[in-house]
Amino acid sequence: MLEIKDVKLVRDNRVILNNLTASFDRGQVYAVLGNNGVGKSTLSYVLMGLESHKDYTGQLLLNGDPIDALSVFERAVKGITLGWQEPARFTGLTVKEYLTLGGKRKIPKEELAEILSIVGLNEDYLQRFVDDTLSGGERKRIELASIMIINPEVIVLDEPDSGIDIMSMEMIETVLHRLKGKGSIVIIITHREEIAVMADEAYLLCAGRMLASGKPEEIVEFYRKLCDKCQHINEPVSKGGLQK
Amino acid sequence: MIESSYEREFRAIANEYERSGGNASDFLRKDIVSIIVSGNKIIGRNTVEGVHLKARELDNGVEVWLDIDAGIVIENPIHLCTGYLKPEGEQVVLIHNNIGEGSKAKFISHCVFPSGKSFTHSMIADTKVGKNAEMVYEDTHMHSKDGGVTVKATYNTKVEEAGRFQNLFYLTKTRVGKLYVKMNVELEKNASAHIESKVYEREDDYLEIDEELHLNGEGSSGIAKTTVFATDSSKAKIINKAYGNAPYSRGHIECNEIIKGNSVEVGTVPELYVKDEKAELTHEASIGRVNIKQMETLMSKGLNEEEATDLIIKGMLR
Repeated sequence: MLEIKDVKLVRDNRVILNNLTASFDRGQVYAVLGNNGVGKSTLSYVLMGLESHKDYTGQLLLNGDPIDALSVFERAVKGITLGWQEPARFTGLTVKEYLTLGGKRKIPKEELAEILSIVGLNEDYLQRFVDDTLSGGERKRIELASIMIINPEVIVLDEPDSGIDIMSMEMIETVLHRLKGKGSIVIIITHREEIAVMADEAYLLCAGRMLASGKPEEIVEFYRKLCDKCQHINEPVSKGGLQK
Repeated sequence: MIESSYEREFRAIANEYERSGGNASDFLRKDIVSIIVSGNKIIGRNTVEGVHLKARELDNGVEVWLDIDAGIVIENPIHLCTGYLKPEGEQVVLIHNNIGEGSKAKFISHCVFPSGKSFTHSMIADTKVGKNAEMVYEDTHMHSKDGGVTVKATYNTKVEEAGRFQNLFYLTKTRVGKLYVKMNVELEKNASAHIESKVYEREDDYLEIDEELHLNGEGSSGIAKTTVFATDSSKAKIINKAYGNAPYSRGHIECNEIIKGNSVEVGTVPELYVKDEKAELTHEASIGRVNIKQMETLMSKGLNEEEATDLIIKGMLR
């Protein structure tokens, strides 16, 4: 179980995460839905423990143990990983080296080929470089493949569909099912309703705090009614009945 | 072919050659142009039709002439291997390459100095790439772990009309010692060049690189690029220059120095000079630690800081 307790992060006098509280159980897919600028990516960086996002207050607990003091690598060892919204480019590094972490992970070629096929790429990609010779969409698919290979306990997917064509929603759903089937906690950070409804549970994020939680369809409906037409972006609506 | 009296020396050089990534059996093939130098001795050589290979021994090195006839396309790379097995001394290598009009050739050169404690290797390669000809020259160095090797490598190249030239220098797998590299390319009309150096410095290694592109012909183009990974207390000074002397000439120079360690001293100076208003030159330079996003990406997948750095640098210096 992953718990976020009263996490607050302030940048330049602006509150990005505002006493955010949420919890996530194993074998479930969660969507964190919200507009641009509400703190979605910040939340994913805080969970992963990026050096630039360690100055938060509050607490993160993994299976009851605090992980706030842990570095990115130490959190990865504990079983947390991040699927980056904009995956990094690496000069001279092949897809195979990226997926196997330079050979640290011993993975048969057949398994690599199978995982690539799930994200719609063939095994020829193993020899390609993870640099700007790949399109943003191809890099994103490789990022999803890398997450499936790691098979971690907690997966934060920051906008998993960004850069990927709308025809590939089925592929993303397949990836989510596979990750869920392995018993992972999957947290999808997204602003897309089509992605949010793939989850088992959803949170609505606004102005750095969870405004509502529930079934994805309900949260999507709130989102459509309120956030899509919100006149005061990043100022949470305080109408009764919205907060669940 | 290998001179019979140098069998043992060849074996020793071949072992080092293979450690640096080469395939020593290529030196025994009759369809591959090759020359093997140990100290001031030519211990093996072979050539094919259309390629004229001459060499002479100097007191402290060798001089080599390699002429490729016009219109010859060399299928297999030409192999050059220069070795020096003793810990002390000096070796001078003078190379004259002439790539005939319309010819194509790739050179793979390996310089192996595995025992150098107080050794200096000086190399000057003068090359002419003929009209419409293509030449690739890949030079890989393997030095001793003591840091006692000094290398002074100078490449002077003239690329004639519509010729294409690529010069790649690698010293990434061993200590550097002291390294001075000069690459100077003169380009005629519509000629193009890509010159690039990649070096990994350790301990108190010292490096100076000076790359120059002279874009003398209309429509000529070139890229001069340097990538250095400097660690410990190593020092590096990189100068990349481009001269846009002709209309529609285009040049780009780039230097990336990645540093790790508080005692590293590195510097880069990009210099651009234009003599024609239609010339276009650009430069890019960076000095800093390994890109944090790349590091954190790999660390989020289970590599520690050291492993992530190594993998990123391995890719960059490839």
